[in-house]
Amino acid sequence: MSKEKSIDQFENVPIPKAIVEKIKKRIEQTDFDSVSSYITYVLQEVLSEENDEEEAVFSKEDEARVKERLKALGYLD
Amino acid sequence: MQLDRDVNYIVSGLERSGTSMLMQILVGGDIPTLFDDSRKADRDNPKGYYELKGGKIINSVIEGKFPFDEHKGKFIKITAYGLRYLPRGNYKIIYTERNIDEVLDSMEAMIGKKDGNREKTRQSFLGLNEIVKGFIQDRDDLSACFVNYNDILSRPRANIRRIIDFLGISDEKLEDMVSIVDNRLYRKRR
Repeated sequence: MSKEKSIDQFENVPIPKAIVEKIKKRIEQTDFDSVSSYITYVLQEVLSEENDEEEAVFSKEDEARVKERLKALGYLD
Repeated sequence: MQLDRDVNYIVSGLERSGTSMLMQILVGGDIPTLFDDSRKADRDNPKGYYELKGGKIINSVIEGKFPFDEHKGKFIKITAYGLRYLPRGNYKIIYTERNIDEVLDSMEAMIGKKDGNREKTRQSFLGLNEIVKGFIQDRDDLSACFVNYNDILSRPRANIRRIIDFLGISDEKLEDMVSIVDNRLYRKRR
């Protein structure tokens, strides 16, 4: 996580202490320099997977085709 | 008949999947609804569209400009594509599905032109339907009643009772609502 990022780009999210302790152990001997950077990495991975799943079901090409159809039907400008 | 004035009520589904019929059914039950006459009844929807701004309400939803606070306590129609852009709130949604080939037939009839890429269009709208249903189920500020246009025509009473139960309202208007379902409008049967 970049240290140049200003503090107002972050939020405090309560996480059970037991999980934090497990993460501390897990990141020992890794490149993660904090619990926060590990959690951020994991969440980014999860969210990225969700986006990939959505893209597989409804791609940008699908969206363009739907929008074209909706314009023809008078639902979109 | 009154609905909860803290809730935004929405009829939705893919375009041409029975959203207008659902609005008619609600009107038949004296359930508060809001629509204008910006898109007049025509051969494609002989009983009217029951829309706001001629269905182009989804433009303002996408832009984040639709005043949801001013539309609480009444059903409005926002078709499936617009649902993805709902801001956080408190929503009850009746979402209708229909045989996809009937949906595409009806779109072609309304546009007045055969779709040269029909199979691709089919997959695209099926994909949209799937992600919108997932979106509805994932959000904790939405509750939904999923219905099926074809099944409503086959079993109107059972389906309308489900809608009444979902809304938690009296069933005194059940028969009036059932009488709205008009098989003569079922013209794109597969």
